[in-house]
Amino acid sequence: MSVGRLLQITLAVVGTLCLLAIATIVIAKNHRRRAGDKSRYLLSVYRNELLAIASDEDEEGEAKQVLFAVPVPIWERLRPSVIAFLSKVRGTAAEDLSDLLRSRGEIERATEMLTSRSGVVRARGAYLLGLVRDRNLAALLIPLLADRDADVRLVAARSLGVIGATQAADGILQALRTSRGRRGLPAWVAVDALLGMGVEIAPAIENGLTSDYAAVRNVCAQVAGHGTIFSAAPRLSILLATAKEGEVRVSAARALGRVGGANEAIALARYTNSSEGAELRRACAVALGELGRQESLDTLVALLGDDDRRLAQLAASSLIQFGEVGIAKLVAVAVDSSPSARAAQGALDLAKLRGQITTDAVDS
Amino acid sequence: MKTRILIADDDKDMLDVLAFKLTQAGYEVVCVSDGLAALELIESNPPRLAILDLMMSGLSGLDVLRKVRANEATKNLDVILLTGRTGDSDVDAAFATGANDYITKPVSPRELLHRVNALLARSK
Repeated sequence: MSVGRLLQITLAVVGTLCLLAIATIVIAKNHRRRAGDKSRYLLSVYRNELLAIASDEDEEGEAKQVLFAVPVPIWERLRPSVIAFLSKVRGTAAEDLSDLLRSRGEIERATEMLTSRSGVVRARGAYLLGLVRDRNLAALLIPLLADRDADVRLVAARSLGVIGATQAADGILQALRTSRGRRGLPAWVAVDALLGMGVEIAPAIENGLTSDYAAVRNVCAQVAGHGTIFSAAPRLSILLATAKEGEVRVSAARALGRVGGANEAIALARYTNSSEGAELRRACAVALGELGRQESLDTLVALLGDDDRRLAQLAASSLIQFGEVGIAKLVAVAVDSSPSARAAQGALDLAKLRGQITTDAVDS
Repeated sequence: MKTRILIADDDKDMLDVLAFKLTQAGYEVVCVSDGLAALELIESNPPRLAILDLMMSGLSGLDVLRKVRANEATKNLDVILLTGRTGDSDVDAAFATGANDYITKPVSPRELLHRVNALLARSK
């Protein structure tokens, strides 16, 4: 066979294959478009029922009955919308959407997904179980905090937080640890989940403040502050005084601003000293403003002239938080063009703009 | 005449749920999906109350609120901010900017209706 003939045959085969590929792509696209059109049509047909349930306007349960009864192929197309709505509402509306999912067997399905070989499927199952906010399902999610896949651990932690599963607090703190190359849970996910569990987890948080693992101490300090766990104040003070990690001390200082008392105010004032790091000094200045203890006034006034101008600004803002007595201190300082006076004047101007104080209050 | 309420949110599902709830309660509801459209509507034909999502493309709910409060013609409009962020600083920012109320996502439609009713009754 000549070379020319061989070339002709090759070109013909390649051309035919290209045409077949193009035809396949066109058919697949058409199929997807038709499927999309059908889904949109079905969604539009049942949209009112879905909206009635999601907006808590299905008092007679008629919309729920309609969606309970739709055939399986239609439900398969509706399911993503039901889940999407469930993630956006709470209260009776969320309970009704959860009932709908339960009645369609979606909880069993999600439970089965938790043992899938695919991490994505396990995470999807964990996500749905969290959305239905059923405390009885927490036991299924807790083992996933030790899952081999980081994304599954993250979704499980978030779902447990949404459920408010207090029994999962220790597991979430444990999941913060990085071990054998397995990345620990991100701190913000743990904080968010633990805050969702309320003050019932105070004992776990207090224990966590003495953990040998810095990330655990840091997360517990943040939760103690944001969750206003007052019983954690003594351990936070120890952490502020003794922790080796600057980040942990800063978190402890911020938390003490919310849950501390007179003793903690004295400690916080001590750590505004110039021998401490800038972040810690700033956190202490803000915390003193939040505590609002009279004995901290002189410390904050002294900070107005600090070389760290950001610290001076924060001290001035903290004085505003004291109300009349703090404002009087700022007014007394804001009399010349010194760095202290500029910080004081800046805070007074900002407070006026925010409507926190009136021009009269400053003038008097 | 029905009381007119504007809802601005870039999440279509959320818009539809809130609009459905408020319409069922007898309000006239206008929906927009971005901050700029909300501001234009407020300035051209002010509603009785505006529900603004905090995080929207273009102008955020806070940006819209600042402009509404700075405008003599619209400064007294009742505004509820809607957001998924629950930090104290976000709540502080919302009220410092002049929000009349603040609702967090996920939303309880029933709670939202109560708050709308209460706000409108207070400012009658």
